[in-house]
Amino acid sequence: MFDFSIVTAWIDHFLRTYLDEGWALLVEFVLVGLVILTVYAVLALLLIYIERKICAFFQCRIGPNRVGPWGVFQSVADMVKILLKEIIKIDRADPLLFRIASFLVIIASICTFGAIPFDPALHAVNFNMGVFYLLAVSSLGVIGILLAGWSSNNKYTMIGAMRSGAQLISYELSCGLSLMSIVVLAGSMQLSEIVNQQAEMWFIFKGHIPACIAFLIYLIAGHAETNRGPFDLPEAESELTAGYHTEYSGIQFGFFYLAEYLNMFIIAAIASTMFLGGWMPLHIVGWEAFNGVMDMIPPVVWFFGKTFFCVFLALWIRWSFPRLRIDQLLSLEWKVLMPLALINILFMALCVM
Amino acid sequence: MKLLNYIQTILIGIYRLLQGMYITMLNFIRPKVTEQYPENRGKVFPHERMRGALTMPHNEDNQHKCTACSICMMNCPNGTIQVITKQEVDETTGKEKKVLDRYLYDIGSCTFCAICTLSCPQNAIEWSIDFEHAVFTRAKLNLQLNKEGSSLIKKEKITKE
Amino acid sequence: MKVIADLAAQLPGATVEQQGNTFLVAVPKEKLHDAASMLRHNSKLQFDYLNDIIGLDNGDTLGVIYVLVATQFSAYTIRLKTETDDRENPEIDTVVDLWDSADLYEREVYDFFGIRFVNNPDMRRLFLRQDWVGYPLRKDYDADPELNPIPHEAEDLDKMEDLPSLEIDLNGARLEKHRQLFEKEDYVVNFGPQHPSTHGALHLRIALEGEIVKKVDPNFGYIHRGIEKMCEADTYPQILHLIDRMDYLSATIHRHGFCLAVEKGLQLETPERAHYIRTIIDELTRIASHLLGWGCMCNDMGAITAFIYGMRDREKIMDIFEQTCGGRLMANYSVIGGVMADIHPDFQKKVRAFVPYMRKMLKEHHILFTGNPIARGRMEGVGYLSKEKAISLGATGPTGRASGWSNDVRKIAPYAAYRHAEFAEMLRTDGLTFDRYVIRLDEIEESLKIIEQLVDNIPGGAYAAKTKAIIKLPEGEFHQRVEGSHGEFDVYINSRGEKYPYRVKFRSPCMTLVNTLKHIAVGTKVADLIMLGGSLDYVIPCIDR
Repeated sequence: MFDFSIVTAWIDHFLRTYLDEGWALLVEFVLVGLVILTVYAVLALLLIYIERKICAFFQCRIGPNRVGPWGVFQSVADMVKILLKEIIKIDRADPLLFRIASFLVIIASICTFGAIPFDPALHAVNFNMGVFYLLAVSSLGVIGILLAGWSSNNKYTMIGAMRSGAQLISYELSCGLSLMSIVVLAGSMQLSEIVNQQAEMWFIFKGHIPACIAFLIYLIAGHAETNRGPFDLPEAESELTAGYHTEYSGIQFGFFYLAEYLNMFIIAAIASTMFLGGWMPLHIVGWEAFNGVMDMIPPVVWFFGKTFFCVFLALWIRWSFPRLRIDQLLSLEWKVLMPLALINILFMALCVM
Repeated sequence: MKLLNYIQTILIGIYRLLQGMYITMLNFIRPKVTEQYPENRGKVFPHERMRGALTMPHNEDNQHKCTACSICMMNCPNGTIQVITKQEVDETTGKEKKVLDRYLYDIGSCTFCAICTLSCPQNAIEWSIDFEHAVFTRAKLNLQLNKEGSSLIKKEKITKE
Repeated sequence: MKVIADLAAQLPGATVEQQGNTFLVAVPKEKLHDAASMLRHNSKLQFDYLNDIIGLDNGDTLGVIYVLVATQFSAYTIRLKTETDDRENPEIDTVVDLWDSADLYEREVYDFFGIRFVNNPDMRRLFLRQDWVGYPLRKDYDADPELNPIPHEAEDLDKMEDLPSLEIDLNGARLEKHRQLFEKEDYVVNFGPQHPSTHGALHLRIALEGEIVKKVDPNFGYIHRGIEKMCEADTYPQILHLIDRMDYLSATIHRHGFCLAVEKGLQLETPERAHYIRTIIDELTRIASHLLGWGCMCNDMGAITAFIYGMRDREKIMDIFEQTCGGRLMANYSVIGGVMADIHPDFQKKVRAFVPYMRKMLKEHHILFTGNPIARGRMEGVGYLSKEKAISLGATGPTGRASGWSNDVRKIAPYAAYRHAEFAEMLRTDGLTFDRYVIRLDEIEESLKIIEQLVDNIPGGAYAAKTKAIIKLPEGEFHQRVEGSHGEFDVYINSRGEKYPYRVKFRSPCMTLVNTLKHIAVGTKVADLIMLGGSLDYVIPCIDR
């Protein structure tokens, strides 16, 4: 089993031999930041390609197949194109807010991305209240969306932003509540601690039915958080053309686009960390040989395997169902998911006791 | 009772959603229907009746059947066809006769309604299945259907007279 | 029959003439409103369906023909005629108070003939710009491009929102009024002309209150080509290719209707084989159109995958068309007297293979979308259209049948080979969005049945009757109804015995559907409005003739 801690420890040691502790830390911070940004961008391109290919397969099509073998460089070509595009100035838009909005969205998304444990050693931000941090930072994105809709001076974007405000804020609740039931089970908010506790058994199995329900709620609510179909009301292509980002062009639009895809990944990553053991291999108590085989697979592969499984689920749902209406969307949250999540926490607490 | 109903509707809903996901998964593994156009070029052709473009078939002696009667030109609803004639002296009879000089066809304004081919008394024009009409300038859409130096097929009847 | 004759005779100042199932009733223009309201509200037989209003320039007079049908006896029509000799300021009483569908029809007549309808509260032009000079379908219209230069600026929104009207009150005082379409504080949003789900270049101006639609104002004419005007300068065979380009989804059906009307005029005996082939092609077109309609509606509701599935199945039909007709979307197949070419040798085999394939796919479509709780939740209880309203609005086709209005022309006045096939007219009673949605899939099933019965029994013989090189229709009016995939399509040909028609009018089924949207969308949400548009399944080029 390959261990990333060897690499990180070596870099740390290397820097400390040549620099003061403060400087070494600074360089490490910058390095970590650069790595996160790079991985973020690469993952986004990968996800866009995956989504287009999977969506095509669901629709009896082949999907991108022109740029490179099987079209693997399609999203790179798209990225180059979007970088070259003109950023259109919107008449009578609020220029400051208009520009800030796209950054807010992507910053919120990157901050969340940084806190995800990819591997025992690849874990940039390991707070003792990691879950809280994830929820808090990821919900900042809604400010960007609201500002984008407001500042564009367009009625479609306005409607899209208002829808998105209503949707994100309400789904944030059941998102948080379903994660809370795992926190109850784990007794900790620290992500590394949560993953380590799943060494014997993943929480979705350990927590019996309440954990399964929490997983389901989290998947639905998280999916709604990402503004993707069937919860894509803020964008609602067939109603509002592109919703809150109708007026954006060039790289500013690209930021929204990247954030959307990465949010999908982040939701899947949190789901796999909290419920499916994150980077922790599948262990069954008593089956030592089996556990040994499972340990041979590196944790990064486990993490990405589980995450992409969740991503695939999200895509499958997205490309199967029609969009909800705004009142259905809200009644699903307030009348079904939230009460269920509250009761679920209670049951989880009883289970733990 | 109400609660039971509530749970039942939720379960039925989930079952139906799963059914829908089953259909999409079925299509996920089905063979795909996309036609790979530039790759299958020359391997897959449109059906033989497809109206791709108007053509005037010539035989190996560079002869066509058009008598320049201009019925197609009159029938065309869009003014797509232009039959330009010239006077020519027939070698055998010595009489002056109207023959086809240029048969101009503007594919840019053609709606492929096939009145021309239907109304042609000589069956001198017909449709080809060629469908790749994209060109860079409008002028290139103006085609001349009769080849340079082509002439009317001499029919048996005409020579007897 | 006798009831109608009696009724027609009772109309004030009327002269009645009977032609088969049609009663031609001429009334003086002062008595028009009385006559119309008698027909609409009498106790014996209510003429509750205004099929069409046809404007006519008779040279010295300007005329209007109201095509009226009583839904109890749908096979019979009354053509209520009136005319005015005032060419400068022609005025005729409105019938908007009697039929909801008259609204757009009268605006159309005003747009093309300049006839103002007194007491109609909305006398804007329908297709042309509000600042257009002249009335194009008049025979003395000046087509000088100097008068109507190509505009470089968009149309003034204030002019589009200003509703002029001429009203004469009970005392006989004339009032030129101007109303405002929207109130000052309305939040007005433009949907279209460029919008992903207006099914073409339709422009809807919508007043919103939050998510709720307060008022819808459709705006046509973005792809208006003046086909009716062009027809007046084309020979009958030339007109055919224009009809394909109106409603491109039921192109062959509409073309079939025009061919039937001309054949009626020529009293041409069309071979039975041609009738069978045309019917099969029509039904295939209907399936293709309904599949696209189904897919678009799913797409409007956000299920893009369903749209692609619909297109995938439609492709099979397009392939059959390409093989036999030579065209795909513009099949261009029916000609006057028959069809253009005999069916391809593989045609029957391919159609036979298509029927079971489509049945299997229909099942999948039902599982994927009809049973989906999200879709059901959105479609149920939204967009109610009562039977009375549907008739009054003239919402024919699947939309009317979903409300319980039996209006299938294939049953009412069978044409071509429909009398040889057994099929049921699909009727539902609730008139909700879900009914309009599901009735299309049911009609696909019925169409498959018709095709199954006909495809093995295509009689031999010629595929087209011989026609003269130059087709001249005898003097008179010819009329043919056919059941298009979106509703009843009517052809009206007024011939003066020349090779060009004097006036051609097509009843666009889609125009009444947009009018229906205007009525049923009020009070629903934005998302519902889009879905309702999908459920009505209109095609814009059909409106913008």
